[in-house]
Amino acid sequence: MPKTLYWIQGGSCGGDTWSLLNADTPDFAELLDAFSIEMLWHQTFSRMEDDVFETLNQRILSGLQPLDILCLEGSVINGPNGSGRFDMLPHGTKRDMIKALAHKARYVLAVGTCASFGGIGSDSEIMASGLQFAKWEMGGLLGRQFESPAGYPVINLPGCPCHCDVLIGTLSAIAADAPITLGHYNTPTDWYGVMVHQGCTRNEYHEYRVEEKRFGERGCMFFYMGCHGPLVTGPCNKALWNRRSSKTRVGVPCFGCTRPDFPQQYPFFETRNIEGVPIELPDGVSRAHYMAYKGMAAAAAPKRLIKRRTGI
Amino acid sequence: MAETIKKVIPLNRVEGDLEIHVELDRDNVVVDARSVGTMYRGIENLMTGRGPLDGLVITPRICGICTTAHLSAAAKAIDMAFDAEVPDNAQRLRNVTLLVEQVQNDLRHLFLLFMPDFTAPRYAKAAWYPQALQRYQVVKGTTALEIVKQTKKVIEVIAILGGQWPHSSFIVPGGVVTVPSDNDIAQCRHIIRAFRRWYERGILGCSLERWHRVRSAADLDAWLDEDPAHRSGELGFFVKLARAAGLDRIGRSHDRFISCGGVDLPRRTAVQGHGRSQQLFPAGIYSPAGLDPFDPEKITEEIAASFFKADGAGRHPYEGRTVTDADTDDARKYSWAKAPRYDGRPAETGPLADMLVAGEPLFREMVQDQGASVFVRELARMVRAALALPAVDQWLAEMVTCETPFFQDFRKKQSTCGHGFVSAPRGFLGHWLVIEDGRIARYQIITPTTWNGSPRDGAGVRGPWEEAIMGLQVADTQHPVEVGQVVRSFDPCLVCTVHAMKL
Repeated sequence: MPKTLYWIQGGSCGGDTWSLLNADTPDFAELLDAFSIEMLWHQTFSRMEDDVFETLNQRILSGLQPLDILCLEGSVINGPNGSGRFDMLPHGTKRDMIKALAHKARYVLAVGTCASFGGIGSDSEIMASGLQFAKWEMGGLLGRQFESPAGYPVINLPGCPCHCDVLIGTLSAIAADAPITLGHYNTPTDWYGVMVHQGCTRNEYHEYRVEEKRFGERGCMFFYMGCHGPLVTGPCNKALWNRRSSKTRVGVPCFGCTRPDFPQQYPFFETRNIEGVPIELPDGVSRAHYMAYKGMAAAAAPKRLIKRRTGI
Repeated sequence: MAETIKKVIPLNRVEGDLEIHVELDRDNVVVDARSVGTMYRGIENLMTGRGPLDGLVITPRICGICTTAHLSAAAKAIDMAFDAEVPDNAQRLRNVTLLVEQVQNDLRHLFLLFMPDFTAPRYAKAAWYPQALQRYQVVKGTTALEIVKQTKKVIEVIAILGGQWPHSSFIVPGGVVTVPSDNDIAQCRHIIRAFRRWYERGILGCSLERWHRVRSAADLDAWLDEDPAHRSGELGFFVKLARAAGLDRIGRSHDRFISCGGVDLPRRTAVQGHGRSQQLFPAGIYSPAGLDPFDPEKITEEIAASFFKADGAGRHPYEGRTVTDADTDDARKYSWAKAPRYDGRPAETGPLADMLVAGEPLFREMVQDQGASVFVRELARMVRAALALPAVDQWLAEMVTCETPFFQDFRKKQSTCGHGFVSAPRGFLGHWLVIEDGRIARYQIITPTTWNGSPRDGAGVRGPWEEAIMGLQVADTQHPVEVGQVVRSFDPCLVCTVHAMKL
């Protein structure tokens, strides 16, 4: 039996859809083909007459048309004042439609940070939330107890946008009825069990605390430029972007876009610090040990790194 | 009074979701049209109080397909606010990434979002239908799959130079953060050259040089007759389909076009701007009556038909406010989009506007003779890469040979303002920024779709695509394919209309 997929967009920029088109092995069309996934609807790509689309929706909601995989891209918009009326469909709020579909699907995927945690707009008048989280807090649209018939909570695939490998990999696992191991915030550990920092080509700078203080200077961006690489998880430097690079590799600090509080409420491009040491230290590190280690590391830094004779 | 029927047409295959409300008379002719924004994302208001550089991170997230355009507009606004100078190599890198994004967008719009309408059942009896189906069927058509493959490849250039696509923040005031190696640049050139060869073979069906000799409608017909390859390429096939479906006769709007100009030329470069301007495409306001200079002071945003609180007449974006009014009982209000106006009147923006303002003779002739149409808008979009790709390659070459830095330091100011205008894939994109006490005090954005998809203004004048639907005869009211074709010819991006509709 082919599995069916339905892709709906809430408070979204469309970036997860375009990120998905970055996929290569397989690409999205090859994935659908190879695993016999039937794309019932994708808001950006489908071509369907209005009446046929209406009938499709009714058949899904009445249970006549089985729905295996629901993907939400973008946030659930709850504003103004909790009414949801900032995002309307012809017959009601988008929020109600997302909820109704989620209760029909065997798997529910939150594609990207907005669908997972609220993301852009979670602290604003649009009152954005994720499917099963509102920022750090479990709940969101579907509630703490929600579990889909396949036995999973909402599978969160954060990132702004979600990396194509994450989505392709998750869909492949579902298509093959393979188990998916979920870790923190119900994210698959295959991609969210690694720090963004791991695999960054600037790691040697980090090691010896050779820091970047102005754009383009080259160096580690953790101490001054607001880089979240050692603080958050994600596959950016493991899988790379567009098969080529990553933000941190070219000198753009990691903004922590996989984290439930993205976008942060304090300014980007600067590191909050106490006496020159970042307030947030790498995940799990003790402050005293870290300060001693970084002091010694800086003293041991080789000249070729300090002079940036590294080719990075 | 003649009986009319009202119809709500939800429109997908645009960026975001869109509803078009039309009223049809007995002959199924559109006698009233409303472009209805159904979503408000509130991006501008969430900028208030943030750090002065935060626009570089937040505003690219407005749009997943023109993310670099927003990044660029945000950076230009800060450049101006902080008096930051952009060194030539940084300008080259900015231009290369912007144009690559544009090429990617144009082709994806055309072949993934627009052309699938030729697979609609209403065309099933046409001789060309089987081939349209074979080429453009959603996630299966041969051309659709090839477009996915080629556009994915070409945006690797942005990843090499900017870290990732979509949603990077590599453009900063004073330049870019990236210091590409010579090999990085060589890789980009390999990608661009391979892409160009494919574009010539698959899309144009001829070399860029041959296409550039098409300077009139007669030239276009002669070009079609000249070689079977010209007819079987995507461009030639599109011309055939568009004429067969009558797309050259529908979609005329106010015939008033606005371009803010783009991209900015480096101080020293072998790339020449059209009309000797300091931009690859110059700024201006074009109508068949003539060309006027572009004056940003003449831009206002009106809210008479928008779900926002009234504060008098149209305001300039520096003074603009975004105060929502979801509970209004004012029957004139129907959209989450504001209505931008230039000198008090609506204007259409996009590739066609860029071509007309730049004085491209083929497009000037077509619009002077018959006005704009679905056909001419999409034609401009399809051939625009022919002008962009040589400039991209030249700038990449100059990055290696010219020893200028990619970034120059700037000094932050506590209280200042600035704006950044970018010729984004869909046209004129503007960011207006006010900084007070070191934080963002006000941020206003007018996107191309806000221009094109705007609702009525205080004088009741329709926005460009509302006007373009007026008078349209709908063949089958159950399946109003032509309404979608007219609106899609503007390449709507509703996720961008931030005040705004996800219309």
